[in-house]
Amino acid sequence: MSNTEYAVELEHISKIYKLKKKDAGSSGAERFYALRDISLKIKKGDVVGILGTNGSGKSTLAQILAGISEIDEGNIAIHGEQALISINTGLNNQLTGLENISVKGALLGFNKRKIQEITDGVIEFAELGDFLYQPVKTYSSGMKSRLGFSISLALDPDILIVDEALSVGDKGFAKKCLKRMQQLRDERDKTILFISHSLPQVRGFCKTGLWIDGGRLKEMGEIDAVCDHYSDYVEELNDLPKKEKKKLLDEKLKERIIIEEKRSFWSRLRRKAGL
Amino acid sequence: MFTSIKYVWKENTENLYRIYCIAKYELLADMRDSKFGIFWNFASPAIQVLTYWLVFGIAWGRKPVGNIPYLAWLVAGYSAWWFVKPCIERGCNSIFSKTNVITKMKFPVSVLPATICVKEFFNHCFMLAIAFVTLFLYGYFPDAYWLGLIYYVVCAFAFSEAVALILSVLNMLWRDVKKLVTSLMRMLMYFSPVIWECHFSDSVPHHGILNFIMKLNPLYYVINGYREAIFYEKGFWEHPALTLYFWAVTLVLFAVGCVLMYKFRRKFIDLI
Repeated sequence: MSNTEYAVELEHISKIYKLKKKDAGSSGAERFYALRDISLKIKKGDVVGILGTNGSGKSTLAQILAGISEIDEGNIAIHGEQALISINTGLNNQLTGLENISVKGALLGFNKRKIQEITDGVIEFAELGDFLYQPVKTYSSGMKSRLGFSISLALDPDILIVDEALSVGDKGFAKKCLKRMQQLRDERDKTILFISHSLPQVRGFCKTGLWIDGGRLKEMGEIDAVCDHYSDYVEELNDLPKKEKKKLLDEKLKERIIIEEKRSFWSRLRRKAGL
Repeated sequence: MFTSIKYVWKENTENLYRIYCIAKYELLADMRDSKFGIFWNFASPAIQVLTYWLVFGIAWGRKPVGNIPYLAWLVAGYSAWWFVKPCIERGCNSIFSKTNVITKMKFPVSVLPATICVKEFFNHCFMLAIAFVTLFLYGYFPDAYWLGLIYYVVCAFAFSEAVALILSVLNMLWRDVKKLVTSLMRMLMYFSPVIWECHFSDSVPHHGILNFIMKLNPLYYVINGYREAIFYEKGFWEHPALTLYFWAVTLVLFAVGCVLMYKFRRKFIDLI
């Protein structure tokens, strides 16, 4: 591991998605800034809450930070192993809980020994009891989430990215997961990026707030201040008459779209290939 | 090109346990899906073979091939086909069908075609069991030449993996590829020596060229290889030219697949 004090450094990064044209006749493809010119630094051991309305680019940011998605512009530097905690990915409904530990473990790249090592811990955390040998399709959603969450945590990355993971399952589940993450935060000094719509959760858990709006970084700073500004903004937005609210959102969307000249088939192909 | 081959090769060999586990549990999940489970792994190929035998062997009165009864001849070739076909068809969809995984975690995408091939290899073992039972009933018993089957299984695996690698990437670019492949595979079956020998008799005009073209199909080598190992007591070294040709084609396809995979490895998520 390097000795820089930052876990994540982003410099002017942008992510562009291609949109399908609304009317087939118009020339030129539309492109859409999912994220636009974001620069930020996250210190090691920091716990960052990422806020933003729907479609503001939070999940895209999470994918980029997790190294799943590539950026189109700018520079990114991540120091340490990072992982996106995805709860329900890789669980197979037909298989039993015990088998699913192996399935998801294997998907995450654990070897046989590591899977055996984590099994007991996972069973305990997920409170499966007699359901261990039942197919996962018979599980309650909370049980399923606990199972998925605890297997994901076994990855033991330096940087954890949690994308709305705790909004599934009941309150007890969220509490339990938060407690586990608090443990990681306080004892193991992990960097945690936490995406959630639940302001109380974010306030209680995070140190730094990061507010993304319309693909741009709106504010980054002390968690309480950012949360206050964000909730003010959401309330203000909701208080607006329906028409004005729509107009405002439409304008924001328009800002993110780039209209392009029509390109030939081959140049499109070349761009797909990243040449 | 060599960096891409190295990349794919490394990713696959470093994740052997991952490949094995994914294949194993997908197979297991398939079985749990239905009530009779493992029974279908035997039953569905058996019914297929039976159909072809009834239509071509009984209804159309196919004579024995050489001195080998048609059903025995059919089952040997068909088992090879029943391995390659699903490998290619499902391999084509291997990346796309794992969308939820590759968007949610860092995952070595290039191992996905291999997981399908390994899974189908397990299925192939079931098919081989049926084939062996049929052959025993006809009085064919294993001899040293049957070991050649192992070599041809490796051939079939290598070829399917190479093709699946290419198609899986192309399928991400254009989802039409899967539909095209499904149709083409049906055609390919009739141009491979599965239910007929793919050999034109001397009475057909241009039979020399036609027979040569038939041999250009790499599957000709694999399927005929299965039969030669079982019936004709011939080893693969007796066709040096065809062996060389098969491996050259397979290696070229594999290289193309690696280059494609390497080029698009970070783009898949945006292509969904």
